[in-house]
Amino acid sequence: MPKLKVPSPPAPLQPKPKRPGKKTGPEGPVEHGHEATASTIGWIDERTSLSGAGRWMMFRKVPKGTNWFYTLGSATMFAFLSQAVTGVVLAMYYEPEPTRAYESIRRINNEVFLGELVHAMHKWGSTVMVILIFLHMGRTFFFGAYKYPRELNWVIGVVLLILTMTMSFTGYLLPFDQRSYWASIVGVNINGTGPLVGPYLSDFLRAGPYFGATTLSRFYAIHMMAVPGAIAALIGFHLYLVAKLGTTAPPWIRAEAPEATREEKVAA
Amino acid sequence: MNKQEKERYLREYGILKAQGKPFFPYAVAKDGAMAILVMVVILAMAIILGAELGPKADPTSTTYTPRPEWYFFFLFELLKVIKPPELVPFATIGVPTVAMILLFLLPFYDRNPERRPERRPIATTAGILTIAAMGYLTYLGAAAGPPTEIDIPVPANVKAQGPAAVADFEAGAQVVAQSGCAACHKFGENGNDGPGPELTEIGQRLPAPAIERTLLNPTAPMPSYAGVQQDSPEQFAQMVTFLSELKAEE
Amino acid sequence: MPERKQPKSKYTTDRQIPGAFEGETVTRRRFMSGTGLAVGGIASAAFALPALGFALGPVFEEFDQPWQPVGKITEFGSDTYVARTITLVPEIGDAGKSTVFMRRFNPAVDTEDRDEYNEYIAVSSACMHLGCPVNYVSSSQRFICPCHGGVYDFVGKVAGGPPVRPLDRFYTRVRAGIVEIGPRFSVNSELQRFSPRDPGEPLDGVGQYLYPSTPDLRKLDTN
Repeated sequence: MPKLKVPSPPAPLQPKPKRPGKKTGPEGPVEHGHEATASTIGWIDERTSLSGAGRWMMFRKVPKGTNWFYTLGSATMFAFLSQAVTGVVLAMYYEPEPTRAYESIRRINNEVFLGELVHAMHKWGSTVMVILIFLHMGRTFFFGAYKYPRELNWVIGVVLLILTMTMSFTGYLLPFDQRSYWASIVGVNINGTGPLVGPYLSDFLRAGPYFGATTLSRFYAIHMMAVPGAIAALIGFHLYLVAKLGTTAPPWIRAEAPEATREEKVAA
Repeated sequence: MNKQEKERYLREYGILKAQGKPFFPYAVAKDGAMAILVMVVILAMAIILGAELGPKADPTSTTYTPRPEWYFFFLFELLKVIKPPELVPFATIGVPTVAMILLFLLPFYDRNPERRPERRPIATTAGILTIAAMGYLTYLGAAAGPPTEIDIPVPANVKAQGPAAVADFEAGAQVVAQSGCAACHKFGENGNDGPGPELTEIGQRLPAPAIERTLLNPTAPMPSYAGVQQDSPEQFAQMVTFLSELKAEE
Repeated sequence: MPERKQPKSKYTTDRQIPGAFEGETVTRRRFMSGTGLAVGGIASAAFALPALGFALGPVFEEFDQPWQPVGKITEFGSDTYVARTITLVPEIGDAGKSTVFMRRFNPAVDTEDRDEYNEYIAVSSACMHLGCPVNYVSSSQRFICPCHGGVYDFVGKVAGGPPVRPLDRFYTRVRAGIVEIGPRFSVNSELQRFSPRDPGEPLDGVGQYLYPSTPDLRKLDTN
């Protein structure tokens, strides 16, 4: 196959021809740029020794047979990143106060530049994230990927699933329309049906016996700070274990003995 | 899994891994393509479906029909399906808690070293059944109509009787819905299945005079609708007409 | 495999530490690791406990339920309910309001003892299954919940579906011809009064012990 030629950089960026008798070294802006990047990375690495960890994470091998099913986990993480970023910018306009919440969301939708788009991305992003996390769990289940030595990673994954459901439950109240209000009432009362601790749990979630002045800010704090922090930390640990233990191969792939051992067998 | 099986797995996995490709750039390229797909889906949904805001929260409302987000539909339907009041805590707390504990402990009670789904019949069947059950409950939850409305299409023989009969049928449906019949009886997709019998095809079983008698002198716990007959005989007649026209489609 | 080290004796004298004395077990290292753990624990507790108390505080704070007028005595009949809006939580606008269904005590249907707090019956609109808003349908004389199929009869007892107890009620009293609504209370299937519980918490049998009332909301002391 003929290869396309890379176009040469414009004249001012091209290295000037070397003058006789001049020292060798970086010439022209491109070389200078390369040099600057390399030396910055070198400077950081000299002080942190992170390049080894980076190489360990990025250049580890994934087993033979790795297919598109294995992208579901990273896709879930990507949906979470999208939720985190859109959530932070929504928080810049949202007011967690029972008399103002609904109006502030309406202002986001109608007045803020790109407001409805970002709000809708956050709303539908949650749906996409829930679907992806279930697909990822289904893949792990049917491929038997939760078995030795990856049991702990499965447990972390289940915690992440529960935290994601907590996020969708607490986030649901925030727009403060009819649907979100009644869904939250039912959700809080579901928690209240636990024997002995239930009544205290529902009072804790509502900050009192009725839906009150601080219920919304309580849900908001859980939705904005407590749970996302836990999710981010657990995703980090989940990923560390993935890199350390390696991703599984699809269960139907069988290892062929390497060439060398096969020849030995024939000889014997 | 015993020690020998563990070692065999690790040896086999080591060979597979050695035959594999580096994570960067091969797996990263796939992950990146998937990430773009995810973003395209989110953006498309955001642009097409938007973020519509319903009416403002109103705790004094007594006519609103609360429904959860779609991914909690299975839980919502579970709460409807489990009827006896003594079992309510099982539906709200019990079943979800047991499901979560089973999910948590999965790697600890499933100690079979086999990984291929077709050679783990119990695990695979259980997984498929769970997904099917959740899918079915989600479907039921999504299809459930509120007990304050009745949407039953006008039957063909009523249509044949002309527009006056159609108007009578529709008025009757409204009276029945407003009289709270669907709280105890099922009408097609609307209403609750019990304590009363399903009325989707009641016209088949009872003629109009029998329906009228039942409405006036019902067996407990059904209330009498004699009050309706006294206050507005026209509405009561519409009710009877509507119910007697509920027949199976031939 | 390297030879396993002989475990050291726990007595400082056996380990020939200078200044050791008979029976002493705490070495400098042991003392310091204990100190490290204790100091870390105290420092974490110093922020964790106040934060926990702060978040849990409202659960133990008594909630104020003042009497509020809802209408003249002539507005309420004894054979049908009239809806009235009351304020449960002040200063948060509509979000703190709720609907109650009101009627006069009717000896033909009401079986409970009559006292100064039930001359007028005020029934809460929160379904006792999971708190959805019930509506009173006058033609069938039933309270109907649109969520999971709860149905209540004229006095608020469960007539069908999953609700675990009759609809909650409010104390009422008459002052100068005006009906006033006071604190909420829950009832069991015999319409006995209990401190308010949340929806979904049964009161019959062991229910009242399995689902204790929380300190923030108690029934009126009528004795």
